[in-house]
Amino acid sequence: MRQELPDWLKTAMPETAVAPESIARAAREQVESLGLPGLRDEEWRWTNLRPIQRGNFAPAAGVGGDIEPANRLPFEDPIRLRFVDGVLEGVPGDLPEGLSIVALRDADATAREAAFSPTPSPSVEDPNDALVTLNTAMAHEGVVIDVAANAAIERPVVIEWLDGATEGSMSHPRVLIRLGQSAAATVVEHIEAVGDKPSWRNSVIVSTVAANAALTHVALGLDGDQRLATERSFAALERDARYHSYNVQLGGKVIRREYDIHVGGTGAHTDLIGLMMPRDRQVLDTHTRITHAAADTTSNEHYRSIADEHGRGVFKGRILIEQDAQRIEAYQSSNNLILSDNAEIDAKPELEIYADDVSCSHGATIGRLDEESLFYLRTRGIPMVEARALLIAGFAQEVIDEIPMDDLREWLSERVEAVLADRTGSNAG
Amino acid sequence: MALLEIKNLHAEIDGKEILRGIDLTVNAGEVHAIMGPNGSGKSTLCHVLGGREGYEVTQGTITFDGQDLLEMETEERAVAGMLLGFQHPVEIPGVKNIYLLKEALNAKREAQGLDEVDTFSFMKQVRELVASMDMDDAFLHRGVNAGFSGGEKKRNEILQMLLLEPKLALLDETDSGLDIDALKVVSEGINRMRGEERGIILVTHYQRLLNYVEPDFVHVLYKGRIIKSGDKTLAHRLEAEGYQEILEEAS
Repeated sequence: MRQELPDWLKTAMPETAVAPESIARAAREQVESLGLPGLRDEEWRWTNLRPIQRGNFAPAAGVGGDIEPANRLPFEDPIRLRFVDGVLEGVPGDLPEGLSIVALRDADATAREAAFSPTPSPSVEDPNDALVTLNTAMAHEGVVIDVAANAAIERPVVIEWLDGATEGSMSHPRVLIRLGQSAAATVVEHIEAVGDKPSWRNSVIVSTVAANAALTHVALGLDGDQRLATERSFAALERDARYHSYNVQLGGKVIRREYDIHVGGTGAHTDLIGLMMPRDRQVLDTHTRITHAAADTTSNEHYRSIADEHGRGVFKGRILIEQDAQRIEAYQSSNNLILSDNAEIDAKPELEIYADDVSCSHGATIGRLDEESLFYLRTRGIPMVEARALLIAGFAQEVIDEIPMDDLREWLSERVEAVLADRTGSNAG
Repeated sequence: MALLEIKNLHAEIDGKEILRGIDLTVNAGEVHAIMGPNGSGKSTLCHVLGGREGYEVTQGTITFDGQDLLEMETEERAVAGMLLGFQHPVEIPGVKNIYLLKEALNAKREAQGLDEVDTFSFMKQVRELVASMDMDDAFLHRGVNAGFSGGEKKRNEILQMLLLEPKLALLDETDSGLDIDALKVVSEGINRMRGEERGIILVTHYQRLLNYVEPDFVHVLYKGRIIKSGDKTLAHRLEAEGYQEILEEAS
């Protein structure tokens, strides 16, 4: 059964929002009856939002400019958009030609309309979409990123989500990314807890990728024991467009990411690559939904989870191939490693195919470390504990290797090794 | 002192006795070939020597370089100088060859009380060895054996041996399934390892390898026992007459 909208959330409901009034009103009218998604809702069977339900969060007011992330990403000259507890710290000037960034509240009506009208379209009546509806009703922070046709933006746009700076803050930011024809850009979500206070961010990113354009969307959830996040990304792809997603989740209390990719133009392609490493009592969950709505489109999906201690990894990947979408190639694999008796993995592929000329495959594996590989490494003189660490890191590395940015790949490898070094000392089992 | 001394070795797996009293002595400088039909216990002997879990030694002793081998963990055996070449080397995608080579070499150096190898001389040595095994440098940055052909995997096993310079190299059917070009490269590698300080055991199903690597001793393993030992002419007899003749003669 779905969970009732808690009182603190009802109280926090604003009378106006940054969304166009008709859209905001429709959302506001629904949120109370929708409540929060519960375990009975098909898309929420494995992830319990009780920590949000039982929380007591208030909209963040913004804490000023002295908050800095502890992690430095290995980008030379990034364009930074810093959100502290969901509040935008300002829009940088001095942007490269072809790139424009404005705060959502300053954006024109067309942009605001687009930001709240994603494709594929969520439903204000569907409990599975309740968090998007809530975001629509409550969003007042956000940003619009526009890349002009033919512009290739070399510098990555880094959205810093710095959560937990103030006690019990919640936020509902909304981001719109629009790439014009043949444009190219990279957007990186740098997600970090800047304090150990409970926080909840319910963010939505809406992307439109015009013909022949390519958007690379990286999400790096780095840490946080008290961080709650529900994050949803929509992307609509026109003819020959590409959307490459790399999703790495290394921390957080309950993190739920959802990707809705509408592969809507002939020749379009999407990659959804992900690595989740839940430990302690973390729940790291990614749900992806790819819709092939046009012929000759392709998708490639590769997710891995490594669950340790009491951690839970959840992956559900849905691929829908519409009736007229012929000559589709869609591949999905989900490989999962369980390192402790108390860890848990839930993995589910879901294919729905209405066309007849498709090449589609999926596979899910859940297992422990391979004994034969361990023995092989030990016969080379590598001690048991190290051999285990090497195999676990190697398992993660196969996903990291798919990231096209050299510096980031190296940085992440080290980051993953650090996470693993943390475990091998205390737990060799 | 013998390098390896196996006395009355009995071993079983899942309660089934596979090795039924093996005696074998290998001295430094010697190359021994152990031949036998399928199911004779060749692989079990290699696994027991390597310390693989699941095999239970019920009787007998193994002394390696003066130490009780059965008391040592797999990795301790390796750093003490015993290296096992696999019949089916494992694919470990995600762990780069270069990384494995360096970790393995440093594990051995640490056991010897030496500092970690310096990267420059390590890379130089590795590149020379790669070239000598007729392999491409690019292989170093690929996952261990990942997507390798059978021949490439066996070359990689020999490459590791050439780098790690074991006191005893134990090669489990290294020649099986190799085409002739790969066999030549692998044999040259084995011949380069031969030396006063080193013992080599070739476990093989086929006599062909012994045309390229000439053994000092040949042993015939059958039903978990060495039923006949001799010099290299024994291998030629096996090839000419088959196992049956030898088995009848021995019984």
